[in-house]
Amino acid sequence: MIQLTHVVKKFGQRLAVNELSLTVPRGEIFGLLGHNGAGKSTAIGMMLGQVWPSGGEVTVCGHDVASHRARALAKVGAIFETPAFYDYLSGWRNLEILTHYSAPTSKARIKEVVDWVGLSGREHGRVKTYSHGMRARLALAQALLPQPELLILDEPGEGLDPEGIHEMRQTILRLHRELNLTILLSSHLLSEVEQTCKRIAVLHQGRKVFEGSVAEVKSARGQVLLRTNDQAAAVKLLRERGLITNASATGITPTDGKSTGEIARVLFDAGFSVDGIWQQEQTLEDFYLNLVKNPPPLPGKN
Amino acid sequence: MFYLQLRNELWKLFGKKRTYIGFGAFLVVQVLISLLFKLTKASRPMQRLLEGNGYLPEDYISALTIATVMLIPIAGLLLPLYVALIGGDLVAKEAEDGTLRMILARPISRVRLLTTKWLAGVVFSFCLVAALAVFGLVFARLTFPWGGMFVWMPEHGIFSVFNASAGLAHYLAANLMLTSEAVSLMGLAFMFSCFNIKPAAATILALSISFVDYIMFHIPFFSDYQAWFLTYHLQVWQWMFQEDFNWARIMESMSMLAGFNLTFLFVGCTVFQVRDIKS
Repeated sequence: MIQLTHVVKKFGQRLAVNELSLTVPRGEIFGLLGHNGAGKSTAIGMMLGQVWPSGGEVTVCGHDVASHRARALAKVGAIFETPAFYDYLSGWRNLEILTHYSAPTSKARIKEVVDWVGLSGREHGRVKTYSHGMRARLALAQALLPQPELLILDEPGEGLDPEGIHEMRQTILRLHRELNLTILLSSHLLSEVEQTCKRIAVLHQGRKVFEGSVAEVKSARGQVLLRTNDQAAAVKLLRERGLITNASATGITPTDGKSTGEIARVLFDAGFSVDGIWQQEQTLEDFYLNLVKNPPPLPGKN
Repeated sequence: MFYLQLRNELWKLFGKKRTYIGFGAFLVVQVLISLLFKLTKASRPMQRLLEGNGYLPEDYISALTIATVMLIPIAGLLLPLYVALIGGDLVAKEAEDGTLRMILARPISRVRLLTTKWLAGVVFSFCLVAALAVFGLVFARLTFPWGGMFVWMPEHGIFSVFNASAGLAHYLAANLMLTSEAVSLMGLAFMFSCFNIKPAAATILALSISFVDYIMFHIPFFSDYQAWFLTYHLQVWQWMFQEDFNWARIMESMSMLAGFNLTFLFVGCTVFQVRDIKS
């Protein structure tokens, strides 16, 4: 659905996106993670033909965005953080204005979408009287009007309260379930991405440092929590035996191929009293923070 | 589809309060000028000029003459300011507010979007000048009788007297030509609006350029090059008050203004096409 191939974007001397290659398959909820300034919005801008790439190729719905933008975006809806509207006009008129940039849209279709997002009864009120949540619904309505196959959400949870974030998450899942949309979700709300996306890519300083499934991230081994009667001596022994690679005050990192059972057995045999030992599941947050603190080196660099 | 998009642009333009606040300022000026001529001795020099040339002032100091006098400050000051504000807002304000990013997430080409916006600006300019022509005449008629029209524009060597019907025709023709000034200055501000600058900066740039252009074309050194100055051609409406239209002069200015406007639109489109639109 979205294909970025060796995409580069420079703003003057600043490299905003560096050799980014990315694939978002049809029917998937794909998360784009990264700090502010990591290059997420620039990447999305290039997908929507708002930002011109300095190099590489961007394909959306099978069409090259640079040369066939209209065809590429015909079935795309987008929502940005703090969606902007013509506040002095009604919600309905805003929808009419925005949807007519895509294609003529019937009043029945607008009504259908207004009902779907739960704005019925308020659609003829001026947007300046809308709450933040209502503006978010209006943003969703304008994105759904052209009957999209792909929905691009750039920081949609920005500025929402916990209830709004919960509602947004449920809406994303509902969109995927009921309308079978492919969704690209750019966010730095890690828990939201963890709960909604199947696959993720992490951007750091303009380059992709990870792409894979959320399940893969979570199944990756995290720290093993260990409690013994003499923690320092136990860690020393495990190091001497080559069973661990790292240790902190509360946990240890086993050497590849070494299980918690094997470690426990060694400690018992050595006379330690083991109060607890268990494998901690890695959260997306642990994974992300570790990744951005220690990003993989650039290809071709030592 | 194009009609729908143009209609939407007009909704945006006419839906803003600011549009009407600016328009209100015009009406106030028209009323003030009308009252100034009625309640003070402002019309005395006009009377003397008419009498000196063998005309009866009471036949020619009329609603049409006062409505024509109103055109001078409006065309020279208020109209440029107002249309430059509108033109400067058309793109830059949307970029500033973030709505441009919402629009450009849609499959509309940038050139088409700009063409639609520019056309909306042209429609607005026509409506504005038409409304000013009608209101000017109405306010003048409330304080002055209907009658012949007298126009004196010494810098163009125009001294014309018309009966009421011919005067009305010349007044309407002048207003029609005044739309070319409104459209051109709107187009100049619109061009700057396509750059990555604030709306106010686009307006100020357009006004500054037209002001510098006006000063330069009045400098004797440039008298041989007058035909290359924008403001020289923006005065074409004044030539509609000649008793016999100078069609060569009018067509020259209209052709040059068409060229200026196409250039403004082309530059605007080119700059906008290569721009990155970011939040």
